[in-house]
Amino acid sequence: MSVETMKVLICDDSILARKKTKTALNQLGVTQIFEAADGEQAIAAYKEHLPDITLMDIVMPKVDGVAALKAILEVNPKAKVVMASSVGTQENLKEAIKAGAFDFLQKPISEEQIKTLISKAAR
Amino acid sequence: MFTQFFGNYLLNKGLVDTKQLSDALAVQKQTRPRLGVLAINAGYMTADQVDKVHEEQQRVDKRIGDIACDMGFLTHEQVEELLSSQGAAHLQLGQALVNSGAMTNAEFADALNSYKKENSLNDVDFSEGSGEKIDEIIRKFYSFNADDTGAYLTEYIALLFKNIIRFIGDDFTPLAPKTISEIKPELADVQKITGAFNCTTAISGDEKAYLGFASRYAGEELTKLDEMAHASCGEFLNLHNGLFTVNVSNEMNTELKLMPQDYLENDTLSGNIFVIPLVFPFGTVSFMAVL
Repeated sequence: MSVETMKVLICDDSILARKKTKTALNQLGVTQIFEAADGEQAIAAYKEHLPDITLMDIVMPKVDGVAALKAILEVNPKAKVVMASSVGTQENLKEAIKAGAFDFLQKPISEEQIKTLISKAAR
Repeated sequence: MFTQFFGNYLLNKGLVDTKQLSDALAVQKQTRPRLGVLAINAGYMTADQVDKVHEEQQRVDKRIGDIACDMGFLTHEQVEELLSSQGAAHLQLGQALVNSGAMTNAEFADALNSYKKENSLNDVDFSEGSGEKIDEIIRKFYSFNADDTGAYLTEYIALLFKNIIRFIGDDFTPLAPKTISEIKPELADVQKITGAFNCTTAISGDEKAYLGFASRYAGEELTKLDEMAHASCGEFLNLHNGLFTVNVSNEMNTELKLMPQDYLENDTLSGNIFVIPLVFPFGTVSFMAVL
């Protein structure tokens, strides 16, 4: 999969966090980027766009990130959902991995982390 | 981190006022400590000797280090050492205050020595600071009890200061904390932490301070109170609280949960509210813990 054709969904209730991630992705050449501001929107956006990779915040209103991850995996058990959160406790990490997360990123996410993630997902 | 508390020490002793401190914080980064301030800090010269060297410099066209050597106050080796040390943030702050006329070299020297003595600090503590010493200063400054709540609040504030230095800047000074039972902040973002440390946290300020803080965190100039400004302050709070729960989980073996952050508009916060005001060049931002 090439970076140019890769579809990425960013789920975060913070417009600033979405903007920063989007800018970093644009710089890597990713252009097909979709956004969701809560877990409910994330599930709907996943179904609509079927992204290659989903970046998911954990603490979000309406439906939290882990619940949204589970719902997305019901739609596509092979979905690559990366949990991105400031709450990187062992408990959350275990819960996310148990729920089927592809990876876990501790916020603040650096451009380098996004670059590594995109290369990993493109393989 | 001691630099931030040193600013408060100067305020508390009535050596500077909030405006003078805030102005000095604004130019601190561009201020290079002069040899005199570096020599006072190192204990090589007294403030009186520094003043004498400065007086002499008005008469002779020589570098200050050479004059200090000629007058027998410093050796050439000491001048070399001081000039290569550049000076830590507290010296930049001191120099900015001396430059603006808010303090004399003698007042700065006295304050610096008293502060170091009262808190058993040396220069390494000032620039690096061990976790234990920082916790001790925070406990003392905020008068926390040696109970669980005191331990959580100490951890919360120590990390808060680190995160502010990391993501916003080191040009701030804590003001004396307040405990109140009710507040209606002009602007605030709140986030609830649940578990063994049950607490609603908040960041608040007037429009100028709020936008100043939001701009720093976003890394761009934000001039309107729009979604981006709220997202920026809220995201900082969320990031800090998230890292706090990680630390609590790792160090205290306790799992805390975070609720989504929210924007408070004309709402009242009530309870046992611990207010942590911090002065930045752009205004005063208060963090709150509602227990």
